Amino acid sequence: MALLEAQDLTLAYDAVSIVDELSLQLPAGEVTIIVGANGCGKSTLLRGLARLLKPAGGKVLLDGQDIHTRPAREVAKLLGLLPQTPVAPDGITVRELVGRGRYPHQGWFKRWNTEDEAAVERAMKLTGTTDLAERPVDELSGGQRQRVWIAMALAQETELLLLDEPTTYLDVAHQLEVLDVISELNRTRGTTVVIVLHDLNLAARYADHLVALKQGKIVAAGHPAAVVTEDMVKNVFGMPCRVIPDPVAGTPLVLPIGRHRVLRAESVLAAKGIYRTKPPEVEPESSIGAPSPVTVESSIPASTQESTQASTAPEPAAGGAAAQEPAVDSTDGQAEATPLRRAEEISEMLAFATRVVDVASVGENFKRITFAGPDLVHFGAGPAPLDLRIKLMIPPAPVHGAALLENATGPELPQEFASLRPGAWLAEDQAAGWYRRWLALPVEQRGSMRTYTVRALRPAGHRDNRGDDPEIDVDFVLHLRTEGGRLTGGPATVWAAQAQLGDDLLILGPNSALCDETYGGIEFRPGSAKRILLAGDETAAPAICSILESLPAGITGHALIEVPTTDDIQGSSTRSGVSVQWLPRGSHPHGEMLAAAVRATVAIPAAGAVVTGAEPEDVDVDETILWETATASTQPFFAWLAGEAGMIKEMRRYLVRDAGMDRKQVAFMGYWRRGKAEG
Amino acid sequence: MSERSTRLRTSGPKRVSIATVNMLAALGIVTAIVLDLVAGRHPIELPGLLAALAGERVPGVSFILWEDRLPQAAVGVLAGAAFGASGAIFQRMLRNPLASPDVIGVGYGASAAAVTGMLLFGAQGIGLSLIACAGALAVALFIYAMADAGKHTGPRLILAGIAVAALLQALIQYLLTRADVRTAGDALRWLTGSLSASTWERAGLLAAALAILLPLLVPAAAKLRILELGDDSAAGLGLAVRPTRLGLILLGVGLTAVATAVTGPLAFVSFLAGPLALRLCGGRSNLGSAALIGALLVVAANFIASNIMPTVELPVGVVTGALGAPFLIWVLVRTNKEGT
Ligand SMILES: Cc1cc2nc3c(=O)[nH]c(=O)nc-3n(C[C@H](O)[C@H](O)[C@H](O)COP(=O)(O)OP(=O)(O)OC[C@H]3O[C@@H](n4cnc5c(N)ncnc54)[C@H](O)[C@@H]3O)c2cc1C
Repeated sequence: MALLEAQDLTLAYDAVSIVDELSLQLPAGEVTIIVGANGCGKSTLLRGLARLLKPAGGKVLLDGQDIHTRPAREVAKLLGLLPQTPVAPDGITVRELVGRGRYPHQGWFKRWNTEDEAAVERAMKLTGTTDLAERPVDELSGGQRQRVWIAMALAQETELLLLDEPTTYLDVAHQLEVLDVISELNRTRGTTVVIVLHDLNLAARYADHLVALKQGKIVAAGHPAAVVTEDMVKNVFGMPCRVIPDPVAGTPLVLPIGRHRVLRAESVLAAKGIYRTKPPEVEPESSIGAPSPVTVESSIPASTQESTQASTAPEPAAGGAAAQEPAVDSTDGQAEATPLRRAEEISEMLAFATRVVDVASVGENFKRITFAGPDLVHFGAGPAPLDLRIKLMIPPAPVHGAALLENATGPELPQEFASLRPGAWLAEDQAAGWYRRWLALPVEQRGSMRTYTVRALRPAGHRDNRGDDPEIDVDFVLHLRTEGGRLTGGPATVWAAQAQLGDDLLILGPNSALCDETYGGIEFRPGSAKRILLAGDETAAPAICSILESLPAGITGHALIEVPTTDDIQGSSTRSGVSVQWLPRGSHPHGEMLAAAVRATVAIPAAGAVVTGAEPEDVDVDETILWETATASTQPFFAWLAGEAGMIKEMRRYLVRDAGMDRKQVAFMGYWRRGKAEG
Repeated sequence: MSERSTRLRTSGPKRVSIATVNMLAALGIVTAIVLDLVAGRHPIELPGLLAALAGERVPGVSFILWEDRLPQAAVGVLAGAAFGASGAIFQRMLRNPLASPDVIGVGYGASAAAVTGMLLFGAQGIGLSLIACAGALAVALFIYAMADAGKHTGPRLILAGIAVAALLQALIQYLLTRADVRTAGDALRWLTGSLSASTWERAGLLAAALAILLPLLVPAAAKLRILELGDDSAAGLGLAVRPTRLGLILLGVGLTAVATAVTGPLAFVSFLAGPLALRLCGGRSNLGSAALIGALLVVAANFIASNIMPTVELPVGVVTGALGAPFLIWVLVRTNKEGT
C-alpha cells in the first residue's frame, strides 16, 4: 500500500508561504479529510501532496521517496488526483473521458488494450455511470458530471486518490452522492483517500482522519470525534458554535451560532401552529380545551375561584361575593375601618404565589426558571410582555446551620403580601404603601426583593406549558463565585442557582385587569420611532430578547447585547428589521465592547439629533441608581439602554452629550450596581 | 444495459466517424484540384491531361501542368495541411478558437521578419523563407516567455499574442511606407499570401520539413487529449505540463513557419480549419482532420481565387481572408454572448 507523507513541507506562491513547515502522514487505507477556513492553505496543501507545486522547503514522500524525483508517469500510477475545476473537452462522451484516466498506463508501444477497457468498465460501474457511458459529458447534471470525473480518476487505478473540494457547486443530495461513492471506493478497494472539503459536518461524517488547518499549519488532527470540538471550530473558523452528536451518523455535528440571527417571532410561529419546544406531557384535552387566560376553572383553588369571576366583571362584586368570609385571607386589623375589596379590583400590583415547574440552563451564565401557579391568571400588562419588570421576593436565607432540606421553601411569605394576592380582601387604603411596610420588617424576616424581567408569559392552555396554570419564564444571570466551598453571590442568584422543582416563590407584578402596556414596569416606549437601539449587558438580555419578539415588522435598528461568553448567546427572534448582535465579552472589561458597539452604531451627531452638547447632570451611581425613562416621543429614533449602572452612565453621556440625542428619545436604566446589592 | 440508455444512445446526435470525414476531405481536395485543371481559367482537355500526367510530352499542356499547376496544387495542399494542423494545436491547447497562430501574432512574426528581410536586405527565395521561419519562432518564444508565469498560461498567451500582433502590424505598416513603390508592391503581394510563385523546389522543401513535423502530430494528439482536461488534471495523470506545452507550441509554430515561408501568410486558414473540422466531426477534435480541412480550404480557395473574376487572378490569401473574417466576427460575437 502506497504511503504518502509530508515532511516539514513549505509551499509558497510568489514567495508568500501558504503552507508552513507542515508534517503530515496520511493513514493508509483510510479517508483523510482536510478542513479549514477559506485561504487556510488546504487546497494548496493538496496540490503540494499531488506534486502540482514544487515545495519551497521540506518534501513530500511517496513510499519514502521524494515525489519530485520520481518520473511523473510512475507517480501517476500510484496517485490519482481530481482537481477542483477539471475541464471536459467539448463533445467528449463519458466513456472517452473515463478512458483518459488510463493515460499513465499507456506508452509509445503499449496502446489501448483489454486491461484498459476493463478498468474503464470497473470505474464506471463503481461510480454508477455505466448507463451514461455514451452520453456527452456536457449534457450531464453537476452531480453526474462529478461522478464521471471521479470515474476518470478511478480508471487510473491508483492506491491513493486526492480530491480537491469534490462537492463544490453541488446541491446537498449530490454532495452526499459523491461522498458516498468515494467512501465506497475506500471500503471496497482499500484506496487511501485524501479530500479537501469545506463542509465541516460532512467532513466529520465521512472522515476516518480529520485534519484541521489554520494559516498553513495543522491545528488538530485525528478522529473527528476527538477533533471536532467547539473550541477547535472557534479557533479554526472563528465561529462560535455548539457541537452535538449527529442524530443520523453519531459523528460530531456543528451548529453555528453566528452573530446576527433573525428568527421568526414566537407569536408568528404559534399562529402557524409551529412550536419550538416539545408539547408538554399533558392530556391533549386539557391543553386544547383551556380557554383564554382570564376565564379559568377547576385548577384555581376554591378560595380564588370566586374572585376570578369577579375580576372579569368591572362592577363591584355582587352580594354573593360579599358572603365570603373576608377574614380568611386578610388578617389585617384595619379591615373593618375601610371597605374591603378584592385585591385585583383595586391594586395595580398584585402578589402572585408561584411554584418552580422547570429549571433549564440557557447558557453558561444563564438559568431559566419557569414559575407557574393559578394566581398568574391575573398576571399581565396588555398583550405585549416587552421588558416587563417584576419583583421576586427572595425568602430570607436559612439561619446559619439550619438544615436546608427540611425547609426548602423557606419561611412563610410575609403577611404583608397575603392581602395583595388575587382573590384576597384588601382595604383600599392598604393598596399602596406595601413597600414601606415591607421595609419596616426585620431583615431576617423580610428576605430580599430583587427585580427581574419576564422573559416569557404563557397563558393557561398554551401548548408549551407543563401544567394547566399560566407560566412565567425568568432568565437569571448567575453571577456566582465559590468561596470556601460555598456558593457566594447575591441572594437572588444563590436562590436561582439552587432552585429546584417545587420551590415556592412570591412574585410581585402587574394586575392584568388594571394594567396595560403603559404599566410602570415597562420602560420600552418607542412612541412613533421607527428606528431603535437596544443595548444592554447580560442582565438586560432577557428584556431585549422579549422586546425583539414583540416588535412589529417595519421597525429597524440594532440590538447590541454583551454577554460573558459565546455560550451565553441565545436564540433571539423578531419579525422586525432590527439586527441583533451578540458581543461575547471574554476577557474584556464589562461594558467595553458594548460601549464600542454603541459608538459604532450611533454616529456623531446622531441622525435625528435634537440638542447637541448638552451635558447630562452627573449621577453618582454609587448613591442613586441611574434611571431615566422616556415618555412617549414623536422622534423617529428611540434608544433603550440597560445594564450595569456605571456602564449605562458612560453610554448615556455619549448619546446625550456627544451624539446630541434628546432625552425624550432615550430610556436609561441601571439594572444593578457593581459592588452594591439591590435595594 | 437498461432500456433508457439504449434509447439515449440511438437518439443522441448522429456522429460521422472521423475516418469518413477524412476520406471525404481527401476526396474534396482531389476534386478541387481536378476541377481547377479541367474547368479553370485555362482548362486542359481531359485526354491531353491524362497523357501529360502519364508522362507524355503534350505540347502546351505538359509545361503548364508540371511546372505551374501541379507544384501550385502540391504547395497548396502541403501548406494548407500545415496551417490547419498548427491552428488546431493552438486552439485545442488553449481551449479557445481565437488562439490560432495567425490571430495571436505568430503569423505576424513571420510576416514582419519577411518584410524586413525583403525591404532592408533584398532577401528572396529560400533566404526569405528562412527569415520568415526565424521570425515566427522568435515571436512565439517571446510571447510564451511573457505569458508563462505558472498560472493561467493559456489566457495570458492569447492576450500577449494579440498585443504583439498589433505591434508587429504597426511595424509592417511602417516598413511599407518607408519602402519604394516597387519593392513595397512585392512585399504586399507576399503579405497577402499566394500560390503563384510555387515551384517544385519550394514544394520539395516544404514536403521535407513536413515529413519531419507531421508525424509528430501523433504523439502531440495523445498529449493534447490529456492537456485539454486542464493543467491540474493533466499533471495528475502524469503529464509534464510545461514541457509538453512548450513542445506543442514549437510544433505548431514550426508548422506555421514553414508554410508561411513558402506561401506567405494565407489569412485565416489556421483559424478556420480547426473549428470547421470540429463541426464536421460532430464535436470531436482531430488533428488529422484539421490538417486535411486546411488543405481542402487552400485548394478550394485557390480555385475560387483564380476563377471568380473574369479578368484577374486574385491571390489565394484574399479569398481565405474573405472567408475567415466573417467567421472571426461570429466567434467574437458568440464568446461575447456567452460571457466567457
Ligand atoms: C428592571 C430590571 C430588570 C432586570 N432583569 C433581570 C433579568 O431578567 N435577569 C437578571 O439576571 N437580572 C435582571 N436584573 C438585574 C438584577 O436585578 C440584579 O443583577 C440583581 O442585583 C441581582 O440580585 P442578587 O441578589 O443576585 O445580587 P445583589 O444582592 O443585588 O448584589 C450582590 C452583589 O452582586 C453584584 N451583582 C449584581 N448583579 C450582578 C451581575 N449581573 N453580574 C455581576 N455582579 C452582579 C452586585 O454588585 C453586588 O456586589 C434586572 C434589574 C432591573 C432593575
